[in-house]
Parts: sequence; C-alpha cells; structure tokens
Amino acid sequence: MKELNGIPRVALRFLAWFCPSDLLEGIEGDLLERFEDDIPDIGLRKARGRLVWTVLLLFRPSILLRNKFSWRIINGIMIRNYITVASRNILKRKLYSSINAFGLSIGIAFCILIYLFIKDEQSFDQFHVNKTHLYRMYSEVYDAGQAANPESDGPYRKMSQMQLALAPVMKAELPEVQYATHYCQNNTLFRKDDKIFRESIVYIDPDFFSMFSFPLLKGNVKHLFQGKDEIVLTPKLAEKYFGNTDPLGQVLIINDRPVTVTGIIAEPPANSSLQFQALLPIEGWGPYNQHNLDKWMNLGFATFVQLYPGADLNNLQTKLAALRDKYMTDDLVQWRERDKVPAAYVPYNIGFTNITAIHLQKDISWDKVSDPKYAWILSGIALLILFIACINYISLALTSSARRRMEVGIRKVVGAYRRQLVYQFAFESVMLALLSMFIGFGLVTLFLPAFNEFTGKNISITATDVISLSGISVGLTVLVGLLAGCYPALYLSGFRPVQVLKGVFTARLSADFSKPLVVFQFVLSSFLIISSVVMYRQMRFVTTKDLGYNQHQVIVIPTQAGWREDGNKVVEQFRQLAAGNPSVVSVAGTDYPFAGNDGMVYGYQVKGENKATHGFNIDTYFLKTLGIQLVQGRDFDINNLADTAKTIVVNEALVKDMGWTDPLNEHLNFHMSDPTAIGSRVIGVVKDFHFLSLEENIKPMFFSMDRNDGSLHHILVRVTPDNIPATIEQLQKVFRRISPDKPFEYTFLDDNVARQYASFDRWMNIMAFSTTFAIIISCLGLFGLAGINAVNRTKEIGIRKVMGAEVMSIFMMLNKQFIWLSLIAFALATPLAWYAMRRWLGSFQFHIDLTWYLFAAGMLLGLLVALMAVSYHAVKAARVNPADSLKYE
Amino acid sequence: MGKEFLGEFEELVLTMVGVLGEDAYGNAIVTEIKDRVGRDVNLSAVHVTLYRLEDKGLVKSHMGGATNARGGRRKRIFTITNAGLAMLRAMKEARMDLWKLIPQLKIAGG
Repeated sequence: MKELNGIPRVALRFLAWFCPSDLLEGIEGDLLERFEDDIPDIGLRKARGRLVWTVLLLFRPSILLRNKFSWRIINGIMIRNYITVASRNILKRKLYSSINAFGLSIGIAFCILIYLFIKDEQSFDQFHVNKTHLYRMYSEVYDAGQAANPESDGPYRKMSQMQLALAPVMKAELPEVQYATHYCQNNTLFRKDDKIFRESIVYIDPDFFSMFSFPLLKGNVKHLFQGKDEIVLTPKLAEKYFGNTDPLGQVLIINDRPVTVTGIIAEPPANSSLQFQALLPIEGWGPYNQHNLDKWMNLGFATFVQLYPGADLNNLQTKLAALRDKYMTDDLVQWRERDKVPAAYVPYNIGFTNITAIHLQKDISWDKVSDPKYAWILSGIALLILFIACINYISLALTSSARRRMEVGIRKVVGAYRRQLVYQFAFESVMLALLSMFIGFGLVTLFLPAFNEFTGKNISITATDVISLSGISVGLTVLVGLLAGCYPALYLSGFRPVQVLKGVFTARLSADFSKPLVVFQFVLSSFLIISSVVMYRQMRFVTTKDLGYNQHQVIVIPTQAGWREDGNKVVEQFRQLAAGNPSVVSVAGTDYPFAGNDGMVYGYQVKGENKATHGFNIDTYFLKTLGIQLVQGRDFDINNLADTAKTIVVNEALVKDMGWTDPLNEHLNFHMSDPTAIGSRVIGVVKDFHFLSLEENIKPMFFSMDRNDGSLHHILVRVTPDNIPATIEQLQKVFRRISPDKPFEYTFLDDNVARQYASFDRWMNIMAFSTTFAIIISCLGLFGLAGINAVNRTKEIGIRKVMGAEVMSIFMMLNKQFIWLSLIAFALATPLAWYAMRRWLGSFQFHIDLTWYLFAAGMLLGLLVALMAVSYHAVKAARVNPADSLKYE
Repeated sequence: MGKEFLGEFEELVLTMVGVLGEDAYGNAIVTEIKDRVGRDVNLSAVHVTLYRLEDKGLVKSHMGGATNARGGRRKRIFTITNAGLAMLRAMKEARMDLWKLIPQLKIAGG
C-alpha cells in the first residue's frame, strides 16, 4: 500500500477513530485522492490544511451515529403508524386495556413501594461522617439452653450490654481507639414547673459529640458535659418545656436533681439506630459508681467506640480477648463452673459491629432493629403481583388475538417483515406499561401513608427520590412491557397471511396457552387466600384465647415511684382512696403486670440440673383481681404476717418441672447466692395460665410477697365495664392526691396483651392487603378471559338455544371449565400453603391446627370470587337472543 | 413519497450522481460540481449528503474495484435509484410548471 508523503496522519487516525468502519474506506480514499490532486494546484501546506478541515467537518452526528441507531426514515413513518394503531386499540377495547393497565399499575406501584422500603433499610446510619470507624461493642455469653437447641446459630447469646468500665478502659489501654462513649437508655421523670412527663433519655460521655454526626444546633461542643449536671435536648423537647424562650442555661428537674441545658442537638433522623430526645452525662447517673466500674460481671451499658483510621480489626479482637482475661480472670473461672461451660468454649467474649450493620443485625436487640427477611418477603409479594399482572396481559392478548389476525395478515401481504410486527406489538405493550406507570405513581402517593403504617416506617418521597424513582420505574416499565408483550408479539406475528386471509380460522381460537397461565395465576392467589385465612384464624385465636386469667377491664397504672419501697406504699394508699368508688372492683399491686413484662427470671440448680423460673412480686389482692384459680393450698393471707417472707405460690408447670408429688410440703430455693438454704415454703398452687405471650410455652413461675425480691411498681385496677373514661378521670384524681409530682399514665391490660402480637398483626395486614390486590388482579384476568370465551362461543350458544338448551345449562357449560381450572389450581396451591403456614405457625407454641376446613374455606372463598368474575359474561351470553347471534350466518 | 422534499444542495448532488452514472463517487462529484457549476464545495458536505440521500432511498451504493491510486482504498460508487430519478423528474416538472407561469416576454412600450 503506497502512502503519500506529507499527509497529516493524525487527522487520518482521528477519522479512523470516529468513522463507522463500513464508511471509512470510501471516505479515506476520496480524501487521499483529493489531497493528491490538491498538491500541484494549491501547494502541500494548503492541501494539508484542507484535508484537516474536511476531516473536522466530517466529525458530525450523521457520520458518527450512522448504523449505531439505524433510524431510517421508513421507521419514523412506521412508528407513527404504530402509535396510531396502538392508541386506537387501547381506546377501542377500553375494558381490556383498563384491566391490563390497572393490574400493571398496581404491580408497578408495589415494586416502587418495596424499592423505597429497601432503600430506607439500607440507608440506616449511613449519614455518619465517621461511619467506617464507628463500632458498637457487644457481649457474647455462653448459654446452655441455646447450646442444647439445634435450631440456634451456636451456643452464644449476643447482647449490646457491656461492662461500665469497658469504654474508659478501651480508650486508655487500646491505641486503636480514638473515642469511646456509653450509650445507656433510660426512662426518667422530667419536671419544669407544672410540666411533669416521663421522657426517654440517653446517658453518654462527652466523646459522643465528636463521634456521631448529629449536628449541635446550640451550645459549644468543646465545653459540653464538663460537669455532671448538664443536659442536651432536641428542639422538640426544648419547646415542650421552655416554649419559645431560649432554652440554654435553663434548669430542668430530672429525678429530683436540677440540671442545666447546655446544648440543643438536632433530632436524629428516622433512619438512625440511635434515637434520643435528651442526652445527659453518664457520671450523673445512679448506676455509674465504683461498684459497677469494678464488677466486670455486671453487663448493662451499651458502648460505642471510634477507631483510628487504619486500625487492624483482627488485632483489636485479640486485644479485646486479652482485656477480658486481664479484668475477668476470676469471674471467668466462676462463670465456667456455675454455668457448666464445656472446655471448648469461653464463657464470655467481647465483639464489635460496625454502626452501619446494627440495623440488620437481628440477633442483638436494639432500637428499630429489623430482620432482612422482611424485605425479602415484601419483594416476593411485589414481584408475585407484578407477575400476575403480566400473565393477565399475556393471556388477554393471546385470547383476543383473533381481532388482530386480519391486521397481521394484511400487514404481511403489504410487505411488513416479521420483525416489524414484533416491534409493533412490543411497542403496544410498552405503551400500555408506560400508561400504567403514571397510574402506578399516583397509587404510590396514595398508598404511602398506609404502607408506612404497616411497615412501621416513616418514608416520604423527596425530590432526589423522584429522579431515581423515575429512572427505576421507566426501566421497570420497559422491562415489564417487553416481558408481557414478548410472547404475544412472537405469537401474533407468526400467522401465515394466506391462511388468515382465506379465513380458515376466523371461527375460534384455542386457549391452550392461556389455560396454564390462568391456573398458575390462580395457584398464586389461592396460596395467598389460604395463607390469609390461616393467619386471620391464628390472630383471632391468640387474641381471644382464654389465658387462664381475666385480662379485660383491668387498668394498669405505673406507680412512678422508681425501684424503691415507696411503690408499696403508693399501692396501699391508692387502694384506700379508691375503695369508695363504685366503679372500682378491686386494686392490686405487682412488680410486673404480665403482657410483655415477663417478671424476674431466677436461675438455680436442683441436683446438679440447671433450672429457671419466672418470679412475680405481688400483694394479697393480686390473684383475686386477675381471677387466677388456685388448685391446691391457699392464697396469700393479709392477716398472716408470715406470708410476707419465705412463702410462695407456684404454678402447675413449676410443680411438674420440680417433679413434686406433694407440692404443699416442698420448699423452693431460687437464690443461687445461698445454695444451702432451704428456700421458700410453697403455700399454694395455681392453675397454669399464660403469663407469657402465646409464642411461648407456659413456663415455671411463682408469686411471692417478699419485698426483698422486688417491690410493687404497678397498680392494677379492675373496673366495671360501664363508663370507663369517667372512671379513669377519677383514678387520675386519686393518683394526683398521692403523687402530685408524678405523671399519671395508664394502659389497659388486654391492650398490652394484644400488643405482644403487634408484629404478627402487621404481617397479617400486609398479607391481607396484598391478597386483596392479587385477587382483584387475577379476577380481572378471569373476567376478561371469560368475556372472550363467551364471545368465541356466541354462535355455539345461539345454536344450542335454538335446539332448546336452557339458560341454566348454558351458564353451567360456560362456567364448567373455570371451575375445573380453579380446582386444579387449589390442588397445586394447598401443599405450598400448608408448608408455608406450618412454618409460620411454628413461631407460636400455642396455635390452631391446620385442619382441612381452613383450606376448604380458602377454596370456597376463592371459587366464589372466581365465579362472580366469570358469571357476568356467562349470564350475558346465555341470555342473548339466538336470532341476534345467528342472523349473520 | 409526496411529503419528502429535497434541499437545493441535495438536488445538486443527486443530479450529479445521475450525470456521472457508473463513475459517481465523492471526489468525482466535488470535481464535477466545480467544473460544471463553478461552485467550490467541501468533500465532507458531499459525503454527508450522499449518505442522507441513501437513507431516503434515492441513491444506493456499492464498493468499486481496488485501484493502486488513492493509497489503495476502494471507491464507494453511488448510483441513482428509480425513486431518485422519479424525484428529480418530479422536481423538474414542478419547476417547469412554475416557470411557465412567469410571463416570458415583456413588450416594451406595448
């Protein structure tokens, strides 16, 4: 190949870079030829200039993009035609279009909601500037019960409670640790003049402000928490107590101790694992004392650290083990002996979790912690619904394809390629999907409040969300459009024009392909229906089950007296003052009022065997007030002073657990501290009752009146059912007279019991919600299908009627196949639902049986709805005058 | 194709493709325009126009045989299609029709 001298090679290389390869040779050749011709005419220098200029002029879209997008003019015309045809089709068949659009838009709306949910889950704690260096410490405690349980993830129980001394010791002794702070949540009484409320507060160290990205709105970070008597509030709390005045320097009374407001800190965002309204220095807190600082066995103080960048985490883990061995040498030996920890395990470990992982670490209990499983279940439901909607589209497009046959035939005869027809139908479905997307957006804004309520989140759509959401929805929409449109497009475009135009199959179309789709769709809905029925029955079971005590019409009032003897007096005073009130049936006192308050758990050993029991501290009125039945022995007696110490009333489960044959002659020593003592005498046995949630078995428990083991923190008031608001007002007056400086709070015991199942309830709601939509969508599909079916058989129905068929028999004939389809679907869905629901019910120790009639109920319900959807067309078709349907023949 | 129109330059290039017959390629068209109409046009403009005409279906192209000139590069030869000829004819006739409407002779003082 001969190259020319003096040619500007850079320009040619540039041309080769941007020019499509099939054009390059011709263009290059022309350029070289011109260059050659130019040299004698205008000289080398100018020729070079002209060549470079020409190359630059060639650098334009029509060359660059040629064959990248083959946007032929002919396509432009055809696309205009596609839009026309598609919109005519959508408008002409309003019913089918709206069924499709409705289904798809709900599917899309669900997907967007789930996307928002997952995004919110993942955004947790991401806002901290130092997030990569922030860690929460956790304890790993050897647990014999967990070691024996094959379903648990190992013998260690994890918790966020740490030693009080851990934070200062880590900071002082480990060079990796830059900052360390406690993070201890507590409820405390706030008082400012006549404003008395119980607030949730957090005790921290000054390092807190350097570690986390909660902006300090007022106050000076450098001087914060120099003393013990300071407090930092969120703006919300500051306004609650100080109104519009400047809160800085003002004084609040907290637990009878005056503290000064020295800072205002921004409210933690909803997606923060650290939630607080008020911050106080830990030095000012009661449990912050030398005893707790020395005792490394006392766990109870959550701790966060910030490491220096580049700290070696493996190394840190080793150093933490060394710290534990240094400070807990004797404790570990004792611990191993007491809990019988096998030699292969250490009784106690210290670990750490990055702050961004806290939210989804479900084995450590923490504020707002969530199980990643939920996100999976939700996504599954959303995809299921989207899938059902896609199936609707496919089966409707296929079954109504007769209408499009003629069009396809004519297009083909006129010269359309098959590819063009595929484009056309795909285009139509994408257009419908786009329409659905806009409706879906509307539905999202409509559903968002309900969705927030179900999931317990606080999601809102911000401007930045809208951008990413639009991107995602357009992507999703096009995907769905192509997915749903793909099969119909291939199917419809495959018609042979000769056959179509000859009119060979104008009469009917087979539903071979759409039948399995309908079955599949119905399997999904049946699964959801059966699951919802089971969940509903189980929730009704747990809320209405006789717990063995009467939880209704009992008001629970915290004494607010703290962990002190005062509580006992408050209960007594309250009883006396309320005694004259006719609405008050009885008043009792207890340390823990059941329903989520599981009492003190005592561990002890009997003949070398580890046992545990729950213990409740009550007064003599308690058993009567709650209607707990005695089966043996007697209740505590108010006149018998001996009952206030060393006597207990136990439940049957405890008797069984201990293997007693004559419980009234037995003693129970539940204090591990003094293993040789004889313990407390059993004076009575109560019938087993559900003091724990129904997720748990009835465990051993006892009641005692020994105030050394606890004090009465709650007043239980049994009231008459009529006019409860007035009664509550009277109770409030009584409480005010006893404790004018404490807030009056109350709950209903049956509400508290129900609240234990709140998360189950929420999931049942979500299931019901999605089941409803799945049913609606699949019924719409059935409805459409039945309509087409009836139209297909118009002629047949006409002939049958002329021959003397009854309306009823035609109705039956049209419905028969749908009943068959749904029966098949149920047969397939039943084992699926059975498996899933057995797993779900497994989380309850007390649950309903999966009996056949639950499934039958689900089936009947589904069948009924399906028949309703189908019957409209059947009735319509059956009643048509045969003269109308046959006169064109 | 009643809705399609040709620009003035497009029409010129299309005509030249017709004039040059089997010998119509980018450079030849530039030279031909220079020779017959006396107009200096840039090679790039001619190429871009040729491709546009091809998109509209008025010309088609194929690669010519290899030569030793042009650094060994083959020529892309354009030929006018029936649609292209029809278009040129239609435009010519439309123009002739208009031309006929212009009063040709003005008799002075008449």
